Amino acid sequence: MGEVEEKAVLEKVGNVVASINGSKHVDQVISAVYSLAALLFPLETLSFIGSISEKYRDEVRSVEALSENQTKEWWKVFYKGAAFPALARVLLYDVASDWLVCFPISARKNVYDVFFVKGRMTEVVQAIVPCLQNRGSTSYDTSAVYSNAERLLVLCLVENDGAFQMVKEFNFQCESEELTGDKLKQAISMLAQLVTSIPDKARPGISSALSSHLFFKSITTQLLSGAEEWDKNLPDGVDSCNKIYTHDTIVFIGEIVARICRRGSADVLLSELIPRVLCQARNFLSGTANVSVNKTFELKPGLRFWSRVIEEIKDSYAVERLSEQLLHQLAAQNTNDIEAYWILWILFHRSYENQPLIRSMFVDKFLLWKVFPICCLRWILHFAILECSPDNTLLTKAYHAHRLVETMQRLVSVWSKREFVQSSRLEQQAYVTAALGLCLEKMSKEDLDATKDAIHSILQGVSCRLESPDHLVRKMASSVALVFSKVVDPQNPLYLDDNCHDETIDWEFKPTMSDRSSVAKSHHKDEEADKVKGLDMAKEANGVDDADMGKKVKGRKQKLLEFKLVDPDEVIDPAALNGELISDGEGDDFGSEDSDSLSDTSLEPYDLTDDDADLKRKFSQLVDVVGALRKSDDVDGVEGALNVAEKLVRASPDELKYVASDLARTLVQVRCSDFTVEGEEESAEEKRQKALVALIVTCPLESLEALHTLLYSATVDVSQRIMILDVMTGAAQELASMKFLKPEYQPRNLISSVSDKPWFIPRNIGPPGASSWKEISTPGTLLNWSYSYERELPPRPGQIQRGKTRRWSLQSSVNENQLEQSQNQFPQYAAAFMLPAMLGFDKKRHGVDLLGRDFIVLGKLIFMLGVCIKSAAMHPEASVLASPLLDMLRVREISHHIEPYVRRSVLFAASCILVAIHPTHVASALMAGNTEIPRGLEWIRTWAHDIAESDTDRECYMLAMTCLQLHSELALQTSRALESTEGTFGTETLGLPSALASGMIKIPRV
Amino acid sequence: MSKRPPPDPVAVLRGHRASVMDVCFHPSKNILFSGAADGELRIWDSVQRRTISSALVHNAAHGIIGLAASPLIGDDKVVSQGRDGTVKYWDIGDGDLSRLKSSFCLNRNPLVTIKTNSYHFCKLSLVKKFAFGPCQTGVPENCQDAEGGETTFQGNQMESIEDSEQVKGPKYVAVSGEQSSVVELWDLASAEKFLQLPHLSSGLPNTTTKARGMCMALQAFLSPESQGYLNVLTGYEDGSMAWWDVRNPGVPMNSVKFHKEPVLSLCIDGACSGGISGAADEKLVFFSLDYQLGSALVKKEITLERPGIAGTSIRPDGKIAAFAGWDHRVRVYNYRKGIALAILKYHHATCNTVSFSADSKLLASSSEDTTVAMWELYPPQTVT
Repeated sequence: MGEVEEKAVLEKVGNVVASINGSKHVDQVISAVYSLAALLFPLETLSFIGSISEKYRDEVRSVEALSENQTKEWWKVFYKGAAFPALARVLLYDVASDWLVCFPISARKNVYDVFFVKGRMTEVVQAIVPCLQNRGSTSYDTSAVYSNAERLLVLCLVENDGAFQMVKEFNFQCESEELTGDKLKQAISMLAQLVTSIPDKARPGISSALSSHLFFKSITTQLLSGAEEWDKNLPDGVDSCNKIYTHDTIVFIGEIVARICRRGSADVLLSELIPRVLCQARNFLSGTANVSVNKTFELKPGLRFWSRVIEEIKDSYAVERLSEQLLHQLAAQNTNDIEAYWILWILFHRSYENQPLIRSMFVDKFLLWKVFPICCLRWILHFAILECSPDNTLLTKAYHAHRLVETMQRLVSVWSKREFVQSSRLEQQAYVTAALGLCLEKMSKEDLDATKDAIHSILQGVSCRLESPDHLVRKMASSVALVFSKVVDPQNPLYLDDNCHDETIDWEFKPTMSDRSSVAKSHHKDEEADKVKGLDMAKEANGVDDADMGKKVKGRKQKLLEFKLVDPDEVIDPAALNGELISDGEGDDFGSEDSDSLSDTSLEPYDLTDDDADLKRKFSQLVDVVGALRKSDDVDGVEGALNVAEKLVRASPDELKYVASDLARTLVQVRCSDFTVEGEEESAEEKRQKALVALIVTCPLESLEALHTLLYSATVDVSQRIMILDVMTGAAQELASMKFLKPEYQPRNLISSVSDKPWFIPRNIGPPGASSWKEISTPGTLLNWSYSYERELPPRPGQIQRGKTRRWSLQSSVNENQLEQSQNQFPQYAAAFMLPAMLGFDKKRHGVDLLGRDFIVLGKLIFMLGVCIKSAAMHPEASVLASPLLDMLRVREISHHIEPYVRRSVLFAASCILVAIHPTHVASALMAGNTEIPRGLEWIRTWAHDIAESDTDRECYMLAMTCLQLHSELALQTSRALESTEGTFGTETLGLPSALASGMIKIPRV
Repeated sequence: MSKRPPPDPVAVLRGHRASVMDVCFHPSKNILFSGAADGELRIWDSVQRRTISSALVHNAAHGIIGLAASPLIGDDKVVSQGRDGTVKYWDIGDGDLSRLKSSFCLNRNPLVTIKTNSYHFCKLSLVKKFAFGPCQTGVPENCQDAEGGETTFQGNQMESIEDSEQVKGPKYVAVSGEQSSVVELWDLASAEKFLQLPHLSSGLPNTTTKARGMCMALQAFLSPESQGYLNVLTGYEDGSMAWWDVRNPGVPMNSVKFHKEPVLSLCIDGACSGGISGAADEKLVFFSLDYQLGSALVKKEITLERPGIAGTSIRPDGKIAAFAGWDHRVRVYNYRKGIALAILKYHHATCNTVSFSADSKLLASSSEDTTVAMWELYPPQTVT
């Protein structure tokens, strides 16, 4: 029967095609197409009959419809065989280009569109989509064909839920079993390919419904509802492994999902997908207790298809994109931990169990190579490692201890590597640290003991982080150390940092990126101090308990005091508390029998508060200061000496020159932490540094010589070296912005002009606000031997009246007439600052290894040099000193140092050079054929370029960009300078090396 | 509740050109003696607060380390001790202030000069004698009478052991001897040494006292409970204290160690039933003397924030005690209860001594800053 009908259908189609081809009028075409449509679809004829001419009306009316069953049979045959593609071709190309414009709307809808809208969607799509592709053929009106095809696609797929229908069709197809195995799969994947390629093929801007966003959104909605329907129709109790039922529909959906993800629209897909899963999961979670949720989830209709769809996606890249996007979106929506966990579980549990690729994606890629928000990290850990929901608190050992340990070991092995600290991005480090920390939090001591070298690795990682100049990195170390110590001994947590005493650790390590805009200047400042402190903290960590104990004891004492003060006659000397037992009992009976209570109460104590302000030793000589600083056992002396050192140095006495080097040496070697109470190291350290800065400023040559010797001597440690460099930096900056008080020249009349006032009346000069002179009358006498006058003067700003005594001085008026003038004093000392420091950086001696272990010192050194050259900016000294500095920076060990800290410093110094050199100097060097400076500058450009392109450190990148910008500015200025000189001299005579010139003026591609 | 601020000195006596090593009040008159490290002895009118007289009584290179006046040695006498190895016994005249100026002058020679040949830091001590109750204020005659009576009684007792006769009792002075661990008792009248503690002739090994180191502080006293025999309390370099009875000069009655550092000053209260000690460590000790057991017991121990007490004194009425600290402060305590009463800040250098006037009204403190400060604290209530 099928064959007969097939023949009939084909014959009919042939006729229709022939009549279309031979038609001369649009109505003819309509009636021809209608004659076929009427056989296939149940149509009301009359809706369009009015719009065609009389001539064809009868023809249309004469077409007799088939019975309902016959129609269905015809429909099937028509769409299954070659008939539809043949007719579609004619309809889509010939009719669309020649006739469709003339179709009345009702005719178009009922006679033309009906073939596609009501047709079998899988075939329809295959017929229409290629129309969008044939751009080469010119025999048709291409734009008409395109727009028609697009219109039909919108009509079918978007407006009439074509995708949903396709899913349904696949459901039926399963039953009919026409195609099997690979062929079917191929067909499905081709179809999915066609569907997902529509947005690409559609002409941009023509139809918004076909734009990838809207189109995929609509497709996704349809597919998901199709899938849900499929899931509901799935007979209960079907084995999850049963292939038949998972097949076509799910494969098709999976294919489409995969392709959507591949085309970069995973976000669109997920924006549809997440609310659905979330809603279902919520409904479900609210209704059930948490006992064996997994099993119930698996059996619940409407939820089963999710994991199968994901399982069917064979394209691992697409899965990765999908899951990544999913995590990010869930995090952005602030989904709570439990829901997020179940969403992950619903979607991925099958593929996670069955596909090693997916498993490794979660366990390796997502933990080690990607960076997610911390909440995502928690979900990943719960889903992939612990495999239990976060609310599962009852079953503490429900998770896979083995897998946890394994993961932790993998994380630790990466985390503890020095290379990882040095070369990976900060975000990455923070993420891995957080992963490790969260794993450790879940572990028990037994788990930890079971691992072989994890403990060792953790300690190694912590110690190499504690040395880092970056505060965040150190914080990571201390957090991990804290968690680790809590695992080992929960009673005795190890706080390496003062400010993280909370119970819960914030694993998010928010880098304060916002305030890094002033990158180069600020980043060096506080880090070393922190670092040194951090190391100290590590040492002092053991003392925490004692301190706590001390506090408790103090608290108790406080209570004792309060208790005691109730007695009005008793006054407690805090020091007397020790002996209170004796005093109370025996005090009374010791007194003689006639001890009168009256006299005792009369002995009321005075205020017993006492400070030792007056006991501090007063230093007035620098020699004394040096002597006191050397006596490290006299704590008070050292402190007092530090207090006055800066003032004395600033006073710049005559002997300073001779004491300077001694003083510099002793100041460097004073150990501030030895003599200060905990918490006050900072101020002592600051005083010491200020004194050193003052010393260098007031007496540069002598003190610098001493400091440079110390800088590379084996007797100082890293913190002292850093301090030396810090004070040099500070001094350079101070010298560069030196202020002077210069007396303002005031023309004064040496000879007063004769006026009407008598000569003995004082003149009205003085500060503004002074009242006029009044004569003091001396009572009793008529004759005045001397005239005396008085007037009131306003207090000077800042003057405080203490007591009755007033001080007068000849100097008092001088200050007001002085002007502050600043003048850069640095350039003359620049060489003394820089050259000795640049001498020994690459030598490895006992205790000194700048290129290796002491990289922080190296970074500081380069930073100092940068500040120096910047302080000498635009002075000829800068240009002279730039070339040796450039030579130093160009050393490979420095410019490509493994630590980003050093690279940052180098970039900073390079920028400083660019700022410091005067363009005319570069220009004159170019013209004189002096290639040293231009070569160095060109090196800066290329090297900064390399850094900007390839460096992992974000700050390095930013600094490199600044560097490039500065370079281009300098190049511009130089070219201008060159132009102006060329105008006067001419190029040829000077023999300008053109290659170098062009090198200089190369504007970098920023 | 905000307490009263500590008082300022009522007067500051300036005039010395070197560290004022010791001060002492005249036992009955309004006179204050002060001795400086340049050997100058000044006599002040404690009412007018003016120098009455001044004399270089010891070698300027060595200076004065101790001064003492007591009714026992006579009203018009004062004893000075220099670091030149001598103790000098001076007559200041009959006590008439108007004539004092002229009678006590620079060229005058001391009545007696004792060559002790000791060059150390230990201040001398006259004999402190038991006084009945608090001293009557403003009636020095009474005091004198009472003491006079005592003295004769005591003197008789003493005569029973020592055949030396005294007009007004034993004019003994206790000093640390040539051998610095030994305490010597000298008779001022005859300038003869009559006893050594420990006694060398006792034949016992002196290792115990030698091990204590130098004698750093001394207080000789007569108590009725000691049957009129002279007792000496000595403080040593190692922080220990010994209680000697002259009846048994070989070994001390008792030896205790309250301090960790050298004992620098000792003072016994008027009733001779207890005392206070200050040392180079940061402890003040209030102790009591038990004559029955012959032992000294700590009543109260106070720990200060800064170490070093150079001088101590108990007011004659036994109400308050003062401590002169290395930290420039004078600390005042309720002597009976050991409660802190005031921290007096005036000096800007180490305080050397504190001393109360016989009428308990004034406190004088001397310091390295070359001044003597006079304070009025808790004036004693007049007994009607």
